[in-house]
Amino acid sequence: MHLEKMGRLSSETEAEEASSSRLKVLGRAVASGLLSAAFCWPRAAQALPADTGTFTELSISGIDSLDPAWAYDGASEEIILNIYETLFAFDKSSTVTLSPRLAARVPSRRNGLISKDGRTYVIPLRRGVTFQDGSPMTPEDVRYSLMRFMLIDRAGGASGILLRPLVGYDSTRDKDGKLKPSAWRDASRAVEAGRDRIILHLPKPFAPLPSILASWAPVASRRWAAAHGDWDGSEKTLAKFNNVEKRGTWFFDHANGTGPFRLERWDRQAMEVVLRRHDRYWRKAARLSRVIVRGVNEFETRKLMLEAGDADSIYAAWQVYEQVKALPGVRVVENVPMIEVNPMVLFTYHVRAPGNPFIGSGRLDGDGVPPDLFADTDVRKGFAYAFDYAGFIRDVSRGRGTPANGCIPKGLLGYDPKAPLFHFDLAKAREHLRRALKGALWTRGFRFTMLYLAGNDERGIICRMLARNLASLNPRFRIDVRPSEWPAFLDASLSGRLPAYPDAWQADYPDPHNFAYPLMHSHGYYPKAQGYRDAEADKIIERAMSETEPSRRRKLYARLIAIEHADVPHLLIEYPSNYRTQRTWVRGWVPNPVFPESPYGAYYYPMWKTSS
Amino acid sequence: MLRFIGRRLLFLPLVLFGVTALLFFAVDFLSPEMRAALYVRSPRQTASVEAVIEKYGLRKPLPVQYGVWLREALRGNLGYSETARMPVADAIREFFPATLELAIAAFVPTVVLGVFLGVLSAVFKDRWLDQATRFVAITGYSLPSFVLGLVLLMLFYGKWHLFPPGRCSLAVDLAIHAADFKHPTGLLALDAILDGRWDVFMDVARHLVLPAATLTYINLALLLRVTRSSMLEELGKDYVRTARAKGLPESLVVGRHALRNALMPVITLSSLLFVSLLGGVVITETIFDYPGIGRWTVMAAQELDIPGVVGTTLLASILFVIANLCADLLYAVVDPRLRT
Repeated sequence: MHLEKMGRLSSETEAEEASSSRLKVLGRAVASGLLSAAFCWPRAAQALPADTGTFTELSISGIDSLDPAWAYDGASEEIILNIYETLFAFDKSSTVTLSPRLAARVPSRRNGLISKDGRTYVIPLRRGVTFQDGSPMTPEDVRYSLMRFMLIDRAGGASGILLRPLVGYDSTRDKDGKLKPSAWRDASRAVEAGRDRIILHLPKPFAPLPSILASWAPVASRRWAAAHGDWDGSEKTLAKFNNVEKRGTWFFDHANGTGPFRLERWDRQAMEVVLRRHDRYWRKAARLSRVIVRGVNEFETRKLMLEAGDADSIYAAWQVYEQVKALPGVRVVENVPMIEVNPMVLFTYHVRAPGNPFIGSGRLDGDGVPPDLFADTDVRKGFAYAFDYAGFIRDVSRGRGTPANGCIPKGLLGYDPKAPLFHFDLAKAREHLRRALKGALWTRGFRFTMLYLAGNDERGIICRMLARNLASLNPRFRIDVRPSEWPAFLDASLSGRLPAYPDAWQADYPDPHNFAYPLMHSHGYYPKAQGYRDAEADKIIERAMSETEPSRRRKLYARLIAIEHADVPHLLIEYPSNYRTQRTWVRGWVPNPVFPESPYGAYYYPMWKTSS
Repeated sequence: MLRFIGRRLLFLPLVLFGVTALLFFAVDFLSPEMRAALYVRSPRQTASVEAVIEKYGLRKPLPVQYGVWLREALRGNLGYSETARMPVADAIREFFPATLELAIAAFVPTVVLGVFLGVLSAVFKDRWLDQATRFVAITGYSLPSFVLGLVLLMLFYGKWHLFPPGRCSLAVDLAIHAADFKHPTGLLALDAILDGRWDVFMDVARHLVLPAATLTYINLALLLRVTRSSMLEELGKDYVRTARAKGLPESLVVGRHALRNALMPVITLSSLLFVSLLGGVVITETIFDYPGIGRWTVMAAQELDIPGVVGTTLLASILFVIANLCADLLYAVVDPRLRT
C-alpha cells in the first residue's frame, strides 16, 4: 500500500533535533512559498492549438459500455451517438424540431407518413449509407437494430423506451424473469422492413416516438454482429441475449456504426476512448480527424491540461467556476439549456443484502442498517428534512439552479412551480426519525455507506451534508461517504446494493413521460432498482402517456407530483443550470439539452478547431 | 553463498504460508456472502451466492476453507473485482506494470542520490554541504506529495510545457496500440527499447519525469538521513581510525570500508521503500493521471470491494516477502559473516 511518506527521521542528538525542527519550519515555509509561487506564477496559456485535427475532452469518468442496446448512461451514450446514428436527429439546439438522419424524411401526418390513426409510421431510408466496415446499410439492418434495442432488454436498461410504444409493454420478461414467448414475435410484427423503408406498427398512438428515435436505437450492422457471435436477429438465439450481462455482447467493446467517427480504441484502464474520423461517411467527412474522451478525476490536472492546450474542453462544476472563468484562452458558455433533475438522492426500499458491504451488519444494531430501512416513510421524510436544499443551491451551485419540487423539470409540460417543496428543517427531521421503525432507529442508530461518482464533488458534498446533518441530530446516525468510479457505481446502484445514493436524470427525449416513468413508475429505471411501487402512480403515468389533451395531462402529472411528495422515494434537489468550459479555438459546438452529457459532452461532427 | 541462498529460499514457502494464512483469517470475520466474491470469476456468479458458498465450502471449518482458497489462488483465481470490473488476477496484470515502471523510475534515483548525499553529508558533517542536504531532506519530508506534485505540474507542465501528465502522449499512445508494437513486459519504456522505438522511449521517459521526481524528492529524505547516521557511526569506529592511521586514502576509507558497513540499514530501508512504491502511490498517480495500481487499490478500499482489497494486499505481502529476501541476500553480499 501507498505510504509516500515513511516513518520519522531519526535524530542523533538533542541539538540536532532542535536544529532539525528549525529546519522543518524553514522547509515548510519553503514549501508554502513554492506553492504560492506556482499558483501565482503568471502562466501563459497556449495561444494556438498544437493539433487542430484532434479534439480532447476531459471528463470525470470512464464509460460503461459501447453497446447501443445495453448502455443507458450519459457517458457511454455520448460516445455511442458519435459512432452510430439514429433515424432522426434533433435540429441543432431544438428539442422539438427533428431532421432526418438515416431516414430520408421525418414522418408526419401532413406528409402522410404517419397514418391517420397514428399507429403506422412509414420511414423512408436514406440510400448510399455505409457502415464503418464498408458494408452498405440496409432496411434489414434498421429493423435488426430496433428489434435488438427492444429485445436485449437488460435489467435497468433503456429497452422499455421503445418497447412501450412499439409492443405495448415495458419488459420482455414475465414476473418470474422468464422471456415472454411472444416477445420476438411482437417486436417482429411491430417493425417491418420494406425495400427502401421501415414501417412501424404501433398498438396505440404514441406521440413522442419520433423524438425517441432521434436519440435511441441507433443502427448497427446485423451481418457484422452475427459474424462476431452476437445476436443474429433470430428467435432461436434470442434467449441467450435477452437480459445479457454487460460483457456478454460483441458490441460491449467493439463498434461499427454509420456515424461520423469510428472507434479506434477504448482503454478502460486509462478511462479513455479514442475515435477516428469515418472517412467514407455519407455526409461530408467530419472536420476533426480524431476525438479523445478521457476521464481525469483531478480537477487541477484537467485545468492544467486545458491551459496547456492538451485538452479542448473539460468538465468543471460551479465550485471552480471562478477559476476556469479567469483562464486566458478559455471560453465559458453559460446559460446552457438543460432538461434534467440533477442532483437527487435515491432511496432503495429493499436493499440486496447477501454479501453487501454497504449496509454494515445488515441489522439495526448501530453498525448497519436492515435491508428495508428506507421502506419506512418516516426514515425517508427524516432524510428529506435533513438536507439543506437552499444552502446547497446558494453555496455549491452558486445560486444558479432552481429548487426541484417534482420529477418533471422546468421546461416540460407538468412542471409546476407552485408544487410543494421539502425544506431544511431539523426539527421535523428529528420528529420523523424518532418515529421511524417504532422508535428503534432513534435508540439504536444506523450506519451505512453512500457512494457517489468519483470526481463529481457536488455529489460528494450532498452525501457529506446529509451525513453531517443527520449526525447532528443523533450521533448514532452514521453515514460513510465514499467515491466510486462510474461503471462500478452503476453496477452497485442498479443492482439494488446501495441504501441511498446521489444520481441525476437527463432527458432521453423531451417529454414529461421520460421523467415520470424512470423516476416514479414501478418498472422505471430507478424504482425498479429501488423497489418502489405505488399502484396509483403507475396508473397515472400510463394514463398521462396516452393522454393527448395538455390540460388533462397536466392535471395527471400534478397528482403524480403530490404522490411523489407524500412517498418521498427520492430527494430532488435542483433543476440545474450548468456551463461548458472549452478553449476559444473550439468552433461549432451546438448545445442541445437532450444530447448525452450536455453541456460537457458533445456531438463532434459539426465541430472544429481554428488555427488562427 | 549458495547454501545461504538455498536456506533463505527454503524459508520462502513457510513465510508465504504465514502471510496468506494471516490474510485469509483476517477476512474470515466477514460473512460467507461477502467472502463469496473471492471465488468467482464473473459478477454473474454472485447472483447465486448460495451456490458459490456451497461449492467452495465457505461454511466449513477454517483450515478447509483456507485450503480451498489457496488452491484457487494458486490457479490464478483471486475473485472478481467490482471496481476494476474484471477478475482480480487480470486487474493486477493490467495495472501493475505501470506502477512497477514508475516505482523503478523513482527508486533508482532515490537510492543513488540518497546514498551519495548521505555519505557526503556524513563526511562533511556540520559543513555547508551537510546543512544543504539536511535542508533538501527536510523540505522533501515536509512537503505532502500532492503539494509537491501539483507545484511541479504547474511549473514544469503548466508554465514551461516540459513534462506532461499521463503515461504517454497521443502520438505515442497510437503507436503503442498499433499491431507492430510488441508488449512483452508491459513496461512501456522497456518495451520501447526492446522494439527499438526510441521515440516511444523518450516520450514515456518524459512522462515519467515528474511523478518520479515527486516520489524521489519525498522519499529521498529518509534514505539520506539514515545513510548519514549510519555513516557517522561507522566513521567513528576504531577500524576506520586504524585504516586512516595506516595511511589509506580517504576515498578508500570512506568508499570501501565505512560505506560497506553502513549499508545494512540502507538496504533494509530501500527494500521497504521499493515495496511501498510498488504497493501503489495513489496521490502521485491521481495528480499525474498515471493509471497504476494505487488508484485501483484505493477505489477497491473505498468501495468495499473485498476481492480487490484482498488481491492487492496479497500482492503487497508477496512483494514484501520477496523484497525481504532480496535484502537478506544483499546483506550477505555486503557482510560475508552473514553467509554462514
